[in-house]
Amino acid sequence: MLERLFRLAIILGVLAALYIAYWKVRSSSRSNADEPPPWRDSRVLVVAAQVAALGLIWSAADYLWANFRARTSDIGLELDFGFLDQPSGISIADNPLNSNAAISAALVQGIKNTFLIIIVGIPLAVMLGTLIGIARLSTNWLLSKIATVYVEFFRNIPVLLVIVLTWTIILNAFPPVRISWLPFGETFIFNNLRFGFPSIVGGDKFGTFQVIVLLALLAAVAAWIWRSRLFDRSGTPHHRVLYGLGTFVAISVVGFIALGGPFDITTPEIIDRVYVGGITMIMPYAAVMIGLVLYTASHIAEIVRGSILSVDKGQVEAGNALALNSFQRYRFVILPQAFRVAFPPLINQFLNFTKNSSLAFAVGFAEITGVIQNLFGQSRPAPQLLLILMVVYLVFSLVLSAIGNLINRRLQIVGR
Amino acid sequence: MTDTAEAKESAKLAPLHSDTTPAKWVKDNLFNNVMNSIITVLLGVVVVFLLVQSFGWIANEEWEIIRVNLRNFMIGQFPSDQLWRLWTSAFVLIATFGIGTSARAHNSHDDAAEKGLVIERSSLLDLLSRFWPILVFVALVVSFAKTWPPVLGVIAGVSGIVVTRFAGWALPAPIRSRAIPMMAIGTIVSLAVLAGTSGLVALSAGIVALAIAASELSRFFEGSDPKSTAIRTGGPIVIGAATLFIVNAVGFEGYGWEDWGGLHLTLFATVVGIASGMPIGMLLAIGRRSELPVIKGFCVVFIEFVRGVPLISLLLFSSFILPLLFPPSVETPETLTRAMIVIALFSAAYIAEIIRGGLQAVPKGQTEAAQASGMSAAKIQRLIVMPQALRAVIPAMVGQFISLFKDTSLIATIGVAEFFQYVAISNSQPAFLGKGLQLVTYAFVAVGYWSFAYTMSKESRRLEKQLGVGVR
Repeated sequence: MLERLFRLAIILGVLAALYIAYWKVRSSSRSNADEPPPWRDSRVLVVAAQVAALGLIWSAADYLWANFRARTSDIGLELDFGFLDQPSGISIADNPLNSNAAISAALVQGIKNTFLIIIVGIPLAVMLGTLIGIARLSTNWLLSKIATVYVEFFRNIPVLLVIVLTWTIILNAFPPVRISWLPFGETFIFNNLRFGFPSIVGGDKFGTFQVIVLLALLAAVAAWIWRSRLFDRSGTPHHRVLYGLGTFVAISVVGFIALGGPFDITTPEIIDRVYVGGITMIMPYAAVMIGLVLYTASHIAEIVRGSILSVDKGQVEAGNALALNSFQRYRFVILPQAFRVAFPPLINQFLNFTKNSSLAFAVGFAEITGVIQNLFGQSRPAPQLLLILMVVYLVFSLVLSAIGNLINRRLQIVGR
Repeated sequence: MTDTAEAKESAKLAPLHSDTTPAKWVKDNLFNNVMNSIITVLLGVVVVFLLVQSFGWIANEEWEIIRVNLRNFMIGQFPSDQLWRLWTSAFVLIATFGIGTSARAHNSHDDAAEKGLVIERSSLLDLLSRFWPILVFVALVVSFAKTWPPVLGVIAGVSGIVVTRFAGWALPAPIRSRAIPMMAIGTIVSLAVLAGTSGLVALSAGIVALAIAASELSRFFEGSDPKSTAIRTGGPIVIGAATLFIVNAVGFEGYGWEDWGGLHLTLFATVVGIASGMPIGMLLAIGRRSELPVIKGFCVVFIEFVRGVPLISLLLFSSFILPLLFPPSVETPETLTRAMIVIALFSAAYIAEIIRGGLQAVPKGQTEAAQASGMSAAKIQRLIVMPQALRAVIPAMVGQFISLFKDTSLIATIGVAEFFQYVAISNSQPAFLGKGLQLVTYAFVAVGYWSFAYTMSKESRRLEKQLGVGVR
């Protein structure tokens, strides 16, 4: 009751303010003779239309909220976030979290897993998509036809189908655990549950070595900038890739020898059904990654192709006239210009990739959607969980598009 | 259109055969330098290997699961003694749309002729080259059929398309000009046969009748004869009401969309998603360009919110939260209806952005010229801005149609038995459980999705070329 009275007071207050504002505007105008009546006065109409719209939106929201409260109190649903501290009752593969860990911890792990898909998948999709986009324009008939078939196939089937198809194919194509495929002298493990790769394990001087690698990286960047400046000043060939890489490798190797081998390479092994050493990834993660990358690459390939075709033909011909070979033409003439055109639609694809990563739950990978669906299954309060889910994706989308727009602004030609 | 005539003229002058011999072609396109030769050989080996492998797989795999479940994949659990409803509704649709579209083609042909232009009439061969993927899929489906009725039905349907194309062209001009109401009424009748008196038919009949009536009524204000306007406005409403009345009187117990399934439901959900998203999307697009901060703000927030979250989270919303938003006294609608509400809002947000792109492409001078000639704001939008904007966004809209068609596979995840869901259902039947036939069913479903989506994407490219979007 108090709530309703409060609302009524606000509405009356707004109306009164509008009335006063209207008379202020009217009386301050030059003369009253050429004043239109209020119902034809655009200043009044603008305000009236907005008040009406606001009232409509408000009353609709009010109505839905009232229904929502009535229904939730009927079924005894609490609308607070206290449940986040309760034990989650779910276990996530490849994670120390057990089912006694709090729901909030499980959610954080889900967000991390989503991030893990995005951060690895997007660069891979861009690389594959660019290669296929260029392949579609190849003078080699067979290559361009294969690229076309690839693009037309993956663009025209649902992404959910691509992901579960990848999962099924991996499940069927790779052997079960007890007869795992161990290529390259048992340094890799492939079976239909898990992929293992060699990795490094740090000794006691590993921290120092990491600092040295960081310094090597800084030195390499410095060398890169030095060669670029020299090139700009005098036109001496810069060879900045060579110099940068050389600096990095040289310092790292010297550091490695000086510290007497601060790390060892470990290969994955299965001892008593437990994976020891190396770095392993569970098969659903691999399936989601491969599926999403294949699907997104087909869209990116089309963007890349379109942007390459949008580069003026005269540019290619000028490159030819300068006797650039086809790699140089792409590297120095076509791709830099094409990339500028391709970038805005690429941001869109990154956003799509992020949203499509929500389909990972279909193959049982516990990213945020999967975790939340799991919690729904235990009849945890749906409204709050769904709110968290949507906010997480909105934040991911906003951050990605903010980064994208920032880069895009740097890319565009500054007008004369 | 004269350009195409000129192009034809120059095509006639070109030599009928070029100097290329097969050997020269191979040398030019496959082995023109060392790099390309290496690529050709490597890829050739891979392609041959893959082709042999997949032919071997197709030949050796167990396809019985598709044969047994063919009807499930196509129409789900529709009752078998009611199949005549589906066939009748399909034939009504084919007849009205076949006649309607070819009548409209004839009309625009005549219009063009009046202005001294030539439009090429597309031949059956053109249609074949445009729609071959769907025909391949239909042939595949027919080849899996175990009984004769579906085969005969498909043959009748395909020949119906051919017959109605000629029939529509041959109709007299006054009937041809009423092609759109005819197709609309055909849609209502087809739905009525299928769904009887369920709310679905009433809803769509009402919407279609009102839409036609409103469009006819608008002509009255543009100054056409009041008497004929009255007939035209009243006509659709009377026909719509009469259809409902007859259906009701006969006591047609039909089957609403909650009983549908398979590919039929997938296609229907896509069409409904786009058709209901369209008007909402148009309003959102106009609202987003509004100068009033409240209206603009609401539209921006809605559009960006819906576009920023994945469809799966909206579908979860439809199955967990949407039922809580109905007043306690009202029974909540079923899963599919709730999913369709969300899908309509989802596609509206995307369509709004597409239409906004089109609206931005309309030069400002158009609006200003209309204002100068004293048109009202609503009239400017409806008669000047929207037609130009919509023409520019037709290809993008087909693109949206394709992506919604693919996205409807997600409603499987909230338990609606559409096309994709039957992969899981058929693989969990006792006869096929644990036999590892997932790949077989995935392959079949993939061909189904691909054939429709690929055809539409080719059509959108054709439209783009025909409308000359981006070309002056």
